[in-house]
Amino acid sequence: MAAFEEITKKIRQSAKTLLESGRVQTVIGFRTASTPLNAAPVFIRSAEDCDKLIWNSFCRLNLANYLPGREGKVALVTKGCDARSAVGQVSENQFLRENLYLIGVPCSGMVDNQKIEAKEPRPIVEVEESDGVITLKGQDFSTSVKIEEVLRRNCLTCSNRTPKLADELAGPETSSPAADDYSDLKALLSKPLEERMAYFKELIKDCLRCYACRNACPLCYCPVCFVDETLPQWLGKSDDPTDTFIFHLLRGFHCAGRCTACGACETACPVNIKVREFNRLMELSVETNWNYSAGLSWEQKPPLTVFQVDDNADFIK
Amino acid sequence: MTDFEPKVVAFFCNWCTYGAADLAGVSRLDYPPNFRVVRLPCTGRLNPKFILEAFKRGADGVWVSGCHPGDCHYIAGNYHARRKFVLLHQLLESVGVDPNRLRFSWISSAEANKFQAMAKEVIEGVKACGPNLTFRKDELKLGLSEVA
Amino acid sequence: MTEYIVKESNLTEFFQAVSQNRTLLSPVGQGEKCRLEPTTPDKIKLDFANTHLSPKASFFPQTERLLAFHKDKSLPNSNVYQDLGDKAQDCVLFGLRPCDAKGLTVANKVFQNDRFVDPYWKGKYEKALKIGLACLKPSPQCFCAAVGGSPFGEQGLDVLAYVKEGGLGLKTLTEAGEALIKSTKAESASLSNEIQKLEQEAYGLQKAEKDSYKVITERDLMEVYNDPHWPFTAENCLNCGVCTFFCPTCHCFDIQDEQSEKGGVRMRNWDTCMSSLFTLHASGHNPRPTKVERVRQRFMHKLKYIPIKQDGVFGCTGCGRCVVMCPVNIDIRDVAAKMCRPTQTAKV
Repeated sequence: MAAFEEITKKIRQSAKTLLESGRVQTVIGFRTASTPLNAAPVFIRSAEDCDKLIWNSFCRLNLANYLPGREGKVALVTKGCDARSAVGQVSENQFLRENLYLIGVPCSGMVDNQKIEAKEPRPIVEVEESDGVITLKGQDFSTSVKIEEVLRRNCLTCSNRTPKLADELAGPETSSPAADDYSDLKALLSKPLEERMAYFKELIKDCLRCYACRNACPLCYCPVCFVDETLPQWLGKSDDPTDTFIFHLLRGFHCAGRCTACGACETACPVNIKVREFNRLMELSVETNWNYSAGLSWEQKPPLTVFQVDDNADFIK
Repeated sequence: MTDFEPKVVAFFCNWCTYGAADLAGVSRLDYPPNFRVVRLPCTGRLNPKFILEAFKRGADGVWVSGCHPGDCHYIAGNYHARRKFVLLHQLLESVGVDPNRLRFSWISSAEANKFQAMAKEVIEGVKACGPNLTFRKDELKLGLSEVA
Repeated sequence: MTEYIVKESNLTEFFQAVSQNRTLLSPVGQGEKCRLEPTTPDKIKLDFANTHLSPKASFFPQTERLLAFHKDKSLPNSNVYQDLGDKAQDCVLFGLRPCDAKGLTVANKVFQNDRFVDPYWKGKYEKALKIGLACLKPSPQCFCAAVGGSPFGEQGLDVLAYVKEGGLGLKTLTEAGEALIKSTKAESASLSNEIQKLEQEAYGLQKAEKDSYKVITERDLMEVYNDPHWPFTAENCLNCGVCTFFCPTCHCFDIQDEQSEKGGVRMRNWDTCMSSLFTLHASGHNPRPTKVERVRQRFMHKLKYIPIKQDGVFGCTGCGRCVVMCPVNIDIRDVAAKMCRPTQTAKV
């Protein structure tokens, strides 16, 4: 794992070159956030601002989210998963390939703040990172945590940490862990129907329907989302649990065959719902049925836009 | 549960199953009257949210039926629909909706007998599941218990 | 008014006394699970930073059913809307942080003023006795001092409590609060010196300077509105509603009718100015078409429009929830700082 200072330096350098040469007009990357354990998206338009760009273990959001509808040429700082999302958007005609430049960062996994909180519940004021260890500093304490112990769930089963399709890499390739085997979901699916429904209803019981999961998701670019449709109104506006359930089901369904497990939805969720569980259900289906994973080539077509004459569907009489 | 008469929403393609229902009717074939038909131009028109909406509004079951693969009036509508059905079928079963509540079939307009058999099978299946209590909007939460 | 002490050994007995004939609401749970919920006197927590969600939900629930009708023609009043009424019950809230109590007063002026009185809010707000718990150790994201609040703020509270050695210190602030504490075995004491000292210490622990955003209220409205920084401030925004849902003063709602074959209900639900649907007209026109207008609206409302309507009181109380919760780190402290300075050029 290359030191983050090296990667940061590389990102700044590339951004500068790209902006000065006029290859792109905007570089979208991360800057230091005003709160600890966080990094914020930043839009860089001039070479002198490039020093705002950083890289650390908190660059959790998926910046491909800012691509659809954006004008001009853009360079995007991406992890493996984000690059896949960007590739997916190009293949879904949401952004032109020639307007896109991917600065890929071989990722070593991003940190889950909840796991940090479990290890250090006291308020953290400052964070330092080096050699795979995060030092959390508060008013009268300092705790060290190994990064690999606090990685996000999706990062632990990410098989594409190095953005292979990026136009350049800001560091040496990193090795990826084994891909998600969905063993927990498969175990759940062997349980009776009632238990499954109880599990999923429990999962979303805190949902406020703020739609942060939807809005943080690079796949959710519809001009009008089904939850915002009013003629007819598909989804009630109240806290009705069935409406909430249907929101999550359809959000998951709409991401089928497109999700790259970037985890932005779970990062954005203010009440820490494992919303990706619905996406995983769909990814499991897509992989089993059509052996497809999103964003691995520029030419790939999403599985729901194509078909095979002999697609298997035994359940249809 | 023997006297439970389910309500099933049926989405039929105009070019096949809808015709089969007609043919079953004029052929005096008996089938259960528990479903209400929504006629679609093609199963490709079926948005998954139609199905979820039906359940939310209290349907005990949903039956989707269209043309046999290869016979689509619009050439490939049902091929695309089939992929959606695969995912939706698995999604709903995964989250605990009994697969008997959501049924799919291919019935051409000549297959009145298949229509009759399928209608019986669908309704029997939903009857076995009982009323849909877990996947519908709760009447009591509407505040009705307080005004009536 | 007067000051009292409750000894540590008498705390449960004290909470029993204050919750006599009333529901007791207090923060329960840890961290992100910390919520204001009905609890029992023996389970009162004193060691929490603040509740995850703001306490506004206890007075202004996310969904509130107002009217309902049934369609059963065999019963009287079919198809006629009937008031579901105000079901508020007497309760006592213990552990409101001063920022949140102040937030409730801001919302209270929206729901109860010389033009409107909202019966649903009024019932709940007035039947609740509010005992605040002063902040001795503000969290890193707290900035109540900057927006005119205090870790020992008294606005909107009946009693202000604070944790002191060997128990709780109490300062009654209203007649109702005084009567409540008098009915317990709390011993009277003189605490004003200690309170003053602790308040100064707590101020010192906050990074924010006192009243540092006051200049916004003095600036010309249109100048702040037309400031060129807004497109850059809003650029990050995802347009989720996290900031508004967690805000203790955000009070916008959307009234909706829903019906089934058996009847219908009219309810109001939290809405958010971050959503494009919030301002969408039936004609299709949207006066706030992009996130720039929407983000500007939120900050202008908090820091400019509410002060104009409420005698200079900010609509932000410095609780810091949106600072922590915003997925893209749009920090209201940074935005307020931008709104303070008369910028002429756009700057990221």
